[in-house]
Amino acid sequence: MGFVTGFLRFCGFSVVRAWQGFWRNAMMSLAATATVILMLVLLSGLFIVLTGLNSGIEFIERKVGVTAELVDDLSDERLQTLIERAEALDGVTDVAYISPDQAMRRLEEAFAQRGQTLSTGGANIQLQATLEITLAEPAFADEVSLALAGDGAVSKVITKQEEIDTLVGVINVIRTVGLVAIGLIGLTVLFMIVNTIRIAVYSRSNEIEIMRLVGASDSFIRWPFILEGILCGLIGAVVAVIAVSVVWDPIQPILVSVFQMPTAVSARNLASLSALLFAVGVGIGAVGSWISVRSYLSAAA
Amino acid sequence: MTSLLRRRARADTATTSVITMVDAGLTYPNGKVALADVNVTIPAGDFVFLVGPSGAGKSTFIRLLIRELVATHGRVQVAGRDLGRLRRGQVPGLRRRIGIVFQDFRLLPNKTVWENVGFALEVTGAPSGLIRQRVPQLLSLVGLQEHANHLPTQLSGGEQQRTAIARALVHDPAILIADEPTGNLDPVTSWEIIQLLIQINELGTTVLMATHNQEIVNAMRRRVLALEGGTLVRDEAGAAYEREY
Repeated sequence: MGFVTGFLRFCGFSVVRAWQGFWRNAMMSLAATATVILMLVLLSGLFIVLTGLNSGIEFIERKVGVTAELVDDLSDERLQTLIERAEALDGVTDVAYISPDQAMRRLEEAFAQRGQTLSTGGANIQLQATLEITLAEPAFADEVSLALAGDGAVSKVITKQEEIDTLVGVINVIRTVGLVAIGLIGLTVLFMIVNTIRIAVYSRSNEIEIMRLVGASDSFIRWPFILEGILCGLIGAVVAVIAVSVVWDPIQPILVSVFQMPTAVSARNLASLSALLFAVGVGIGAVGSWISVRSYLSAAA
Repeated sequence: MTSLLRRRARADTATTSVITMVDAGLTYPNGKVALADVNVTIPAGDFVFLVGPSGAGKSTFIRLLIRELVATHGRVQVAGRDLGRLRRGQVPGLRRRIGIVFQDFRLLPNKTVWENVGFALEVTGAPSGLIRQRVPQLLSLVGLQEHANHLPTQLSGGEQQRTAIARALVHDPAILIADEPTGNLDPVTSWEIIQLLIQINELGTTVLMATHNQEIVNAMRRRVLALEGGTLVRDEAGAAYEREY
């Protein structure tokens, strides 16, 4: 019981002194908080874009299997044999025949969705018949396309693997550039917090000396400063989370428009992102102030 | 507070010394000897002057006692603790057994007299009830009840030193170390501070006072430890500032 009340007193003391310290050194504290906000907003942007692109990839991988374009004038019997052969392949869950007429209707519907009318200029266009093959796993795509490519009834096998590979490449570039940028900004934030707390520590060096002389433990001296750094990170995280929550819904159609794919980022991701922002904000505040206080107290010990 | 000090006085005088130095000294890495082979025993309840010219080693002597420095050789024991074996985490406990006041008072300018004294309890985790009880007792002891809400800038030098003394006594220390406590004060105020230190000593707290003030040392006729060039050259009871023989 005595330990609990003592601990609560220690927590109360540290929190109150951290709050006082934050506002006593308001300009530096707010500048450090602003850099935390900047970093967390950039981190949020990166998170949203990467999550959106990943969900887009998942969507494409889920939808797409292998498409086999068929040679013209294929007999019904030959077509049926080909379908049965495709269905027998490992990893194939469904095989759908799309006739040239159906392909044309799809094309017209795609134009109509964009508010346009398909015009062939009077020419008689004949689209190729295809087999659309759905796979249990995208990993079967290579095996299935290889098997079908050797069939005389198939003129060309199309997989979206190339498209996915390109997209994965883009995601990797965005992720690398984003992480490097955030890393650099993170170092700046760390530097700001270290200096903010160092200034706070030096401005209260007389107080610290008195605390040491009257028998205050290192915890009583150290934690108010660490909490002050954490406060910078926490306030930064709160502002960043509010900002992200506000733009969360409006940004979804913009993402779809920019990336031309269903980059749906669910509300569950907002919760994950908020947790990430709080963890990073508080973490960087704690690490920065710890570095600052530790070096000072070690030197003064 | 008064009753606490009296209780401790009875207990401590029956026991051993509060400060013991055995061949204790401090030599810096560059070979400079700050303090050489000091042998001193100060029993509980004693009033001792520490004298010597600037650079004689008085500050080193005091810093060894409060464990700001660690002796490079010999043994230093304070309030029953061997300081050479004290771990870092045990140092705050030692410092609560030692009260210390300085020539420049070292009060926090943005805190009132009451807050300056209470601060010393607050930062050691004392409950607020204890702080509310103890601070008025100490202000009464040093005669500053009427100035409790004043800032240090609103006080005279003597009042500031009284505040510092009240702060030094918050943990009911076994030893009060006063480093030139009258150095910034006029003669009359200096004697007021000395009277207060005598009163505290009579209540049972051992007092070690570093000073250059010959008049006070000569008038008081207490035990004198004289340092010169880092060496203890005199340890004499009922003595004057200078050697008299």
